[in-house]
Amino acid sequence: MWIYEKKLQYPAKVGRANLRMAKYLITQYGGPDGELAASMRYLTQRYTMPTGQAKAILTDIGTEELAHLEIIATLVYKLMDRATVGEIEAAGLGAYYADHDKALYLVNGEGVPWTAAYIQSKGDPVADLHEDMAAEEKARATYEWLINLSDDPDLNDTLKFLRQREIVHFQRFGEALQIVQEYMDSKRIY
Amino acid sequence: MNRDQVAALKELMAQEFTALEFHLYLDTHPTDQRALMEYNEACRQLMVLKQRYQQCFGPLTFCETSGYPWQWIEEPWPWQISY
Amino acid sequence: MMYEMNSGLQLARAYVPSQVFTQRFSAMEGLSKGTIFPELYMPYRPRRY
Ligand SMILES: [Fe+2]
Repeated sequence: MWIYEKKLQYPAKVGRANLRMAKYLITQYGGPDGELAASMRYLTQRYTMPTGQAKAILTDIGTEELAHLEIIATLVYKLMDRATVGEIEAAGLGAYYADHDKALYLVNGEGVPWTAAYIQSKGDPVADLHEDMAAEEKARATYEWLINLSDDPDLNDTLKFLRQREIVHFQRFGEALQIVQEYMDSKRIY
Repeated sequence: MNRDQVAALKELMAQEFTALEFHLYLDTHPTDQRALMEYNEACRQLMVLKQRYQQCFGPLTFCETSGYPWQWIEEPWPWQISY
Repeated sequence: MMYEMNSGLQLARAYVPSQVFTQRFSAMEGLSKGTIFPELYMPYRPRRY
């Protein structure tokens, strides 16, 4: 089960409302390399991991990604705060507004809704952990492109935190891969 | 939310983050005794900070006791705070 | 097989070296950097286009 804590993992702030960045950043909410995809990928794959270490790391990182999902939502919410309909339209978010007003919705930067097709659950722990390591690198790269697009030091501060987390997650998945490969070798019938 | 509360919240975030980092590390290094000591110490300190924070500012999570009226519904929620 | 004997590593396999915990940042510094482990702290340096 899961229990909510009424606090963010990181003090997420923005320097000013910024609809342009809200439009880009929402991809980390509901896009292919975003935080929901990360969380669902790990929490779905964990059931068929062969060792306690691998089950633990997928559970714990999958849970941390939910905290990141909340940070992204907070940033998008703050970036859109107090925007007028005219400003929303000018930023190219008119179609989003028609469907959602300023509510959070799970889409990528182009408005495509989240889909389970973004993730895989192969049942082969080595293949799944490779996907997880690739996912961390793709999320890291996304944060770098978002930092390149942004000129708000406060927003970038939180994006840098999230980027660094992907590096730590990659390291842990890499260690889990090693443990799992050794375990699979020890089980193999020749 | 006043400055004192924001400062206390950030202290809590930092301590919880420390515990999380050692928690993840221990998942793949279960026999690292030094890391285990760091983890246990971080959790002890976190418990103290959480108790203190909740006494001043209300419940942070499920099954923390509440004053009257029910405090869980109090604003601001995490996304409404200016950090 | 030769490869395995010489390096201890196998072909067609990915390896990430296991971290060895030695030092740590303070709690506040760790939070602001995004990791408590100095050896894993790899800040972004944008590249020129
Ligand atoms: Fe991640």
